[in-house]
Amino acid sequence: MLKKRLIPVLLLQNGLLVRSELFKIHQIIGNPVHEVERFNQWNVDELVYLDITRGDKYDLRREDHKIKGLATPEAILDAVSRNCFMPLTWGGRIRSVEDMRRCINHGADKISINTSAVRTPELITAGAKAFGSQAIVVSIDVRAEGGSAREVFIDGGRESTGLDPVEWAIEAEKRGAGEILLQVIGRDGTGSGYDTGLIRDMSSAVRIPLVACSGVAMFEDYADGIKAGASAVAAANIWHFKELTDRAGKRAMARAGIDVRL
Amino acid sequence: MSIQYCSKCVYPGVSATPLTFDDSGVCSGCRVNEMKSSIDWDRRWKMLQKITDEYRSDTNYDIVIPVSGGKDSYYQTHVAIHELGLKPLLVTYHGNNYLPEGEYNLFRMREVFDCDHIIVRPGVDTLIKMNRLGFKLQGDMNWHAHCGIFTVPIQVAVRYKVPLMMWGEHGFLDLGGMYSLNDFVEFTAKFRLEHALRGYDWHDFTDEGLEKLGRPELKEGLSAKDLMWGQYPTDDEIDAVGVRGIYLGNFVNWDANQHSRLVVEKYGWRPAAQPFERTYRMFSNLDDMHENGIHDYLKFIKFGYGRGTDHSCKDIRSGKMTRAEGIEMVRKYDHVKPRRDLERWLKYVGIPEDEFDAVCDTFRDPRVWRMENGKWVKDNIWGEASEYGNVHKDACGPGCRK
Repeated sequence: MLKKRLIPVLLLQNGLLVRSELFKIHQIIGNPVHEVERFNQWNVDELVYLDITRGDKYDLRREDHKIKGLATPEAILDAVSRNCFMPLTWGGRIRSVEDMRRCINHGADKISINTSAVRTPELITAGAKAFGSQAIVVSIDVRAEGGSAREVFIDGGRESTGLDPVEWAIEAEKRGAGEILLQVIGRDGTGSGYDTGLIRDMSSAVRIPLVACSGVAMFEDYADGIKAGASAVAAANIWHFKELTDRAGKRAMARAGIDVRL
Repeated sequence: MSIQYCSKCVYPGVSATPLTFDDSGVCSGCRVNEMKSSIDWDRRWKMLQKITDEYRSDTNYDIVIPVSGGKDSYYQTHVAIHELGLKPLLVTYHGNNYLPEGEYNLFRMREVFDCDHIIVRPGVDTLIKMNRLGFKLQGDMNWHAHCGIFTVPIQVAVRYKVPLMMWGEHGFLDLGGMYSLNDFVEFTAKFRLEHALRGYDWHDFTDEGLEKLGRPELKEGLSAKDLMWGQYPTDDEIDAVGVRGIYLGNFVNWDANQHSRLVVEKYGWRPAAQPFERTYRMFSNLDDMHENGIHDYLKFIKFGYGRGTDHSCKDIRSGKMTRAEGIEMVRKYDHVKPRRDLERWLKYVGIPEDEFDAVCDTFRDPRVWRMENGKWVKDNIWGEASEYGNVHKDACGPGCRK
């Protein structure tokens, strides 16, 4: 049986990594290249970069910093992939097969699509045909009010779609998605734990791997996501807050009886 | 492009601390500071007690406290000993430029607290070379100090096998709101390298490192053995002891003005005897006589603001000052070229002032500065543009950054 994966999600905004809360508050955490260098040292399983930039400004900010002059998403992806010795998923601002091809040419192993997958679901199939299902991750952002009414949102959590998340996951799988990345807007950056009910419902409805994200406060939270049915657990903020977070997270998973690559 | 300023405090968007603005134009530093009033600090204190209880030792120090001898150091040590009942090991990186008041405060710590105290003092020639290199390579003569402060304590923690370090306030969280107080952010190697050291590490300052950086003209003859104090332990070494560094600022409602009063009254801690040229505060950065003056002036060169801004932001947020009063402090202090400090530092490192000015100019942020008729000009928070002296860039001599 495949080992369970632990995945950092890095959010890129205007050229810098940010911490995120409720998809609304974003604080600058640092440089996209330093982070990937650090993850290489840690032997991380896999990495997801999501570009959540609005507008077209990419600016690494400091003139006196050793790393400077990366002014486009491609330049950042190039620098990241040159330093990244683990599978790399790249998402954000991808609207066409051509966009996907450009990211893959610049070093991405998988492509994550969210808004464009809802707006043009044919893109999932076209991407899977061009690069294989394994390369197409459909990312689903869910607003779950009070645990009952669940709805898929797009455009960074700003636009409602009326879609039911589980039904949308089933359709994404049918259209050729190789993996689902599940994020829950109300849990993002709050440290309130995974939405295990949603993970359970979604993972039992599809056969493709489900990567659970949103809500991790403690390394112990990872096991809850796996036990609810996720094939891999992801988190964003916690990777920035503590030291040696990869081995500490994996150890917590192993203590809970989960088979991980230590 | 005009610089955005926070609508509550006086912080600019182009800054040394990572900063963002919300939809109302309020900076992340103010927002994080506002959170303080809604936090259950009693619960936080119990969390701190629980953490430190886990690390109590029968045979070793309970905790490593990195200290400079400043007001925060006294406060941290006071909390550790008298409120948590811990046996700390104090650790200091000494960069050779303490103010006499700062050194008095530092050396007295083992007397007033009855503590063991390790002070690491690098060789003076090495420090002078590191001042020159930091300035020319990175626009920061005190790069060595950031490196030492964020390296020596963890070296000691690893060597003495003390798994818990307790830092004071997280500076970037406090000033810029880089993290939320709910993140319970801890000390990391990545923060040290990327933010405290801006991507450079000790090996960049050796002859070999400068060669690799494409800056061989800056070589000072330094080797790895000169910079032992800057060499961060490996992940495996840290993991073997299980070292983690928590920040006291996540667990107590931090108010620097109040802590200063406490440490003055209780321990006879001394503020600066002489006013600084670039700020009105008398109790910050006494561990380096160039910090409030020449080092901070470089921040003005780079980003167009200085301690007048930093200190008034803190005082505006704590309700000690209005925004209008803060702007007056910015007007009064941010641009000042500190004569006393500059002359002392130039003599210390043997650099002539025109070379200093020329190197400075290579670090000016183009988002802030423009050249008009041979003068540097920038837009200010009070809505006007002003001139700030001659452009020296073209006078850049041999060996300086083009």
